[in-house]
Amino acid sequence: MPRAGSRYEVVIGLEVHTQLRTRSKLFSEAPVTFGEKPNHAVTPYCLALPGTLPVLNARAVELAIRAGLATHCTVHTHSVFARKNYFYPDLPKGYQISQYEEPICTGGWLEIEVPAAGGEEPQRRRIGITRIHLEEDAGKSIHDESLFGEGTLVDLNRAGVPLLEIVSEPDLRSPEEAGAYLRALRELLRAIEVSEADMEKGQFRCDANVSIRPEGSRELGTRTELKNLNSFRFVEEAIAAEVGRQAEILDAGGRVQQATLLYDPDRRRTRVMRVKENADDYRYFPDPDLVPLRIDPARIEAIRAELPELPEARRARFEAELGLLPREAAALVRNRSLAEYFEAAARAHGDPRAVARFLLRDLLAALGDRQPDETALPPEGLARLLRLVDDGRLTARSARDLLPELLERGGDPEALMRSRGLEAVSDAGALGGVVEEVLREHPGEVASFRAGEQKLLNFLMGQVMRRTRGKADPASVRELLLRRLGQGG
Amino acid sequence: MVAALGTLRELAHALEAGTCSAHELVRQSLERAEALEPALGAYLGLRAEAALREAEEADRRRARGAPRSPLDGIPVAVKDNLAIRGEPLSCGSRILRGYVSPFTSTAVAHLERAGLVVVGRTNLDEFAMGSSTEHSCAGPTRNPFDPERTPGGSSGGSAAAVATGSVPAALGSDTGGSVRQPASFCGVVGLKPTYGRVSRLGLVAFASSLDQVGVLARSAEDAALLLGVVAGHDPADSTSLPQPVPDYAAALSGDVSGLRIGIPKEYFPEQGGNAAVFERVRAAVAELVSAGAREVTVSLPHTRHAIATYYLICTAEASSNLARYDGVRYGHRSPRARTLAEMYRRTRSEGFGAEVKRRILLGTFVLSAGYFDAYYRKAQQVRTLIRRDFERAFEHCDLIATPTTPEPAFRLGERERDPVSMYLSDIYTVSVNLAGLPAISVPCGEVGGLPVGLQLIAPPLGEPEVLRAADAYQRRTDWHRRRPAEAA
Amino acid sequence: MSVDAPGITLEDLRRLADLARLELGDGEATALAADLARILGFVRQLQELDTAGVPPTAHVMELATPLREDEPDAPLPPEEAIRNAPAHEGTAFLVPQVLDSDEA
Ligand SMILES: [Mg+2]
Ligand SMILES: [Zn+2]
Repeated sequence: MPRAGSRYEVVIGLEVHTQLRTRSKLFSEAPVTFGEKPNHAVTPYCLALPGTLPVLNARAVELAIRAGLATHCTVHTHSVFARKNYFYPDLPKGYQISQYEEPICTGGWLEIEVPAAGGEEPQRRRIGITRIHLEEDAGKSIHDESLFGEGTLVDLNRAGVPLLEIVSEPDLRSPEEAGAYLRALRELLRAIEVSEADMEKGQFRCDANVSIRPEGSRELGTRTELKNLNSFRFVEEAIAAEVGRQAEILDAGGRVQQATLLYDPDRRRTRVMRVKENADDYRYFPDPDLVPLRIDPARIEAIRAELPELPEARRARFEAELGLLPREAAALVRNRSLAEYFEAAARAHGDPRAVARFLLRDLLAALGDRQPDETALPPEGLARLLRLVDDGRLTARSARDLLPELLERGGDPEALMRSRGLEAVSDAGALGGVVEEVLREHPGEVASFRAGEQKLLNFLMGQVMRRTRGKADPASVRELLLRRLGQGG
Repeated sequence: MVAALGTLRELAHALEAGTCSAHELVRQSLERAEALEPALGAYLGLRAEAALREAEEADRRRARGAPRSPLDGIPVAVKDNLAIRGEPLSCGSRILRGYVSPFTSTAVAHLERAGLVVVGRTNLDEFAMGSSTEHSCAGPTRNPFDPERTPGGSSGGSAAAVATGSVPAALGSDTGGSVRQPASFCGVVGLKPTYGRVSRLGLVAFASSLDQVGVLARSAEDAALLLGVVAGHDPADSTSLPQPVPDYAAALSGDVSGLRIGIPKEYFPEQGGNAAVFERVRAAVAELVSAGAREVTVSLPHTRHAIATYYLICTAEASSNLARYDGVRYGHRSPRARTLAEMYRRTRSEGFGAEVKRRILLGTFVLSAGYFDAYYRKAQQVRTLIRRDFERAFEHCDLIATPTTPEPAFRLGERERDPVSMYLSDIYTVSVNLAGLPAISVPCGEVGGLPVGLQLIAPPLGEPEVLRAADAYQRRTDWHRRRPAEAA
Repeated sequence: MSVDAPGITLEDLRRLADLARLELGDGEATALAADLARILGFVRQLQELDTAGVPPTAHVMELATPLREDEPDAPLPPEEAIRNAPAHEGTAFLVPQVLDSDEA
């Protein structure tokens, strides 16, 4: 990325298509499926058979409203479905029903966490949301090897699946910000149960509009559109590659051409798919088969009232009320299930910061790709486990060692601690004996320590720990040893 | 030749009295249709076997004392742009060659629920685009009163079938006059209901905001009976009206006293059109006045823009509605195509006829970047003005009376060369579609041996009123009992 | 708002035919260009009307938005779905190769 960062400002806007969590399609009662055989989930409407008509799915409308409210958009009581006309084999009607001049939601924002360099606390920024609208997905063209280039297969199972298109303002200034926006958006959509947003299933797809301009310039440069970025990594890589390509063109005194591009992850380069000579002519017009979508304001308020707490509000509360560091709060709310688990555990335990630290360090590592609520360890169990540590009955290390079994099989942490014989040895009486024993058996080391070889303390501690099989509280052992060796205090 | 069938009312009486069976009626219908084809060209396909089987089932139901309705077992015909499960659906187009619908339109499902037997699919202008039934890939339907003339269109097959008595009634569709104009040309009754009154599910779309299923019959009473069968709310059509369906036949009291009939001065010009036609229509209004109705003058000043408005809107919608005919999933696919791009272009060029292509191109133009506001948006605004004209007129009258067409049936091929002159033949019918109103065409005389129609227009959901006035007129006249000579 | 007399050139017609995926022979194109020019000449009359402030009519009836419950129904049997297909491979529709550059 030659000098792009220093001389050019990067301007990025994202268009996200996310699949709504419905059981049936947007305008037909065909089931929404995944991985089904070709054309096994279609009705006459999905095939655009002559005489078929659309009827709008109530649930899809509700989810669109929910998404609009969660992104601080205006939800319009009047919006219009329009036809976007173009020909493609996976578009059975020869038009896509979408929303154009009057979308259901406009003018909102999403707060993102901008990654900061070297250990700094992250910055937060609001990224504008231009509009959110409902539309149908297209089917799938399959380029099957076995056809030897003779043809393309068309599967319309996905045709008509409800999508939400979420268009951002060109407010993003780096590939990393674009990545952060996408992650925040996906997490939000999952938190409010609007979309599962599973990228691998094609439920969350992104197109990026990218342009660059000389730093300080207010004018927008010619933008290009990157299509079908289907993983977070590719989004960032592809934008970086495209910024580099545009910078090279400008550096060489050239002009960026308006174009649609694809990203080639193997060569880490963007490739022009099609230059837009004159804008596509989609001949949008209001769909005469559908009357305008009118939504009762009372319905919007009812949906607003049912919205769960949004990640950004939760983050602010974790900082203000529970005293978490911004970094900790942000890390916890990134995953709704983790955030909820944390809150329950913190409530049961009483020290939110201690719980947060244990969660973010030890629990996350032990979870792997499981969600905490999918394990056998309820938040109250975790709180009991941490209380054993607080009481000095279990070392932090032993607590970590017990996690895999607790997550897998559950049960009472204290009982498990006992059955594993892991109860910490911390009282001076029991430990004192062991310490005396160790000192007696290692007179040479004791003498060397006293002569100034400080690192031998670790050796002696190790001997005590081994003898107590890790159950000793390291702090107590250290204190006892130092006292006995005459350097206590 | 086997005799023409009587009216729905007469056939229902005969079935109830047991003087004939449904099987006999359906056989008579099929035999008469076959005898008149191919000279007439009213049908694209007869369902002989299925219809006879369904008639037998109707007879068994009636024998059990459980007919589905008073019309159970009576043959009817259906325009071939209404889907019937397991039957071809051609819309008079090569592009739907071989296509068989896996589902039934709501209108036909209502016929079946009432026990009516569909004997055949009737001819039409391709995708209902036309006013003459000449633009059908199967060839034209001829006017039963003069084989050198058109039956009107696009429901010309249904009109000719009813006029010649192979069926007592038929379904058609009316986007700009396609039920009323052929009814007028063929001397039968044609009713276009309020937009949204009959479900469009299974009606192949031409211009969705204008399309409406209508009925063709020999009398206003029959039109009322058949409308009562097919009308109703359909949750599967988002533009379907939720209002309950009244008993249309019960509205036929014969009483028109006090009824205010509006005569729009713009529809009766000093010159232009056929003076004899206007004279017949005025005489028909005079007949209603003599029965107690009152004539008032009204104004529909934007009527002169109705044709232009209509052609902009209907072609825009059609260009999009007909995009689905691409050879991918059904219908014709060009055998000469090696690439996808060729497949699209050749399939559509081979599959669509000249008039359809003309309208697709016009509609594409109207919606295209740079022209949308000046054409499509403008037409939608004028559509508002046309609606307001009617709203204002109906403050002064209950019904509006006009000729259905300014001239009787024209000659086959006569307007082929000039699309604008063809479009102008719809001058009195299209504004009704633009405003979504119910209207009926009733035979009211002859000019040069050709039928002439009186059009009565009502405010939204005024079907009972137009039917009552039409029925009152028919109680006093017998134009509707006249049949074309050859088929008598 | 006014629009100049819309002469439909052959080139315009080619662009429209392209958008509409129609292939026109030379004679056909010439005739259609003339037809469209006539029709557009006829509809130009609307430009005389002052429609400033007039709302457009897209639908004649004011209806509450009909909504469907999110209940899936049985799909078509797959053999029924492809019954009318000009070409298919298994239960998928088969079309000539879609190329990257192919805008169909
Ligand atoms: Mg977009
Ligand atoms: Zn989209």
